[in-house]
Amino acid sequence: MGNTLGFGNTFNNGFNLYFHPEVTPGPYEEPTFDPLSGFEKGRKKRVMIATEEEMRSAKIPLESRDYCAHLLLKFRDCRKENWPFPVKCHHEKHEYLNCQYDDFVLRMKEYERERRLRVKACAGA
Amino acid sequence: MNPLIKSFKTPKLWLKNNAILVTAVRNHWNKDYKPGPYPQTEEERKKAAAKYGLTPKEYDVYADDGMGYGDYPKLPRISMDSKDPFYPWDFPELKRNFNEPMHVEFDLLRDDRYDVNQKLKYSMWMQFAMFVGVVGTLGTIYLLMENVKMFHSAIPKQYPNKGKTHYTFEPLETRES
Repeated sequence: MGNTLGFGNTFNNGFNLYFHPEVTPGPYEEPTFDPLSGFEKGRKKRVMIATEEEMRSAKIPLESRDYCAHLLLKFRDCRKENWPFPVKCHHEKHEYLNCQYDDFVLRMKEYERERRLRVKACAGA
Repeated sequence: MNPLIKSFKTPKLWLKNNAILVTAVRNHWNKDYKPGPYPQTEEERKKAAAKYGLTPKEYDVYADDGMGYGDYPKLPRISMDSKDPFYPWDFPELKRNFNEPMHVEFDLLRDDRYDVNQKLKYSMWMQFAMFVGVVGTLGTIYLLMENVKMFHSAIPKQYPNKGKTHYTFEPLETRES
């Protein structure tokens, strides 16, 4: 059941949601299980580094005010400093996009955790 | 008389004395451009045919139903595209000979406009069937897949400040304790 960033399971997901809705989380469903169950050593909390004031004064779009916003702030700052040579900000851009990638991977892991826990719950019941 | 009205009389007189200002070239129209009345008798038809340089056999006329063109000849609808390009026309650009009567819809039949004699590669019905075939097939697939739309296997994006704690998958540091 490997997830990929490409078209790996995206076709199957639609069919799974239709034919097995009891074990398949939908695309808009939040996780329903206790996030800490099954982690003996606990889990680190995600930390938001950019503050609300910073994001507001930089007019960061609402959809970008996620856990990577501090890197977006850095990237935008760099672009402004280096204009008209924004190519100098390739490092900042790469860092930001990597953060977004890791964020997506985390979301996929959460999805798979949710799915497996549902399968388990169904099998137990 | 009112001097304001009087002032219009002077240019009128001036136009009368300078006939060059009221010619057809300047005003794009000439009474001779207008076709004559619809020919009622055989005699009139013969006269009209001769007027347009046609034989009485070639001469046909648009119906006098209020949308007609008087005695202007009803010529065969032949697009410029369908005329022989190798014939030594007097005006090769228009594929037209000197004194050849022009079709009423000449502006439409030019080769930079529309080819009314075009032979379609596929008939209109065939084209319609092809359209329905392609769009119908794709539409059917779309309708069949309406309930099984694909999506990425990921939960919705996590945003802070929603009164919710989000966790990474890294274990807590336990070295200090």
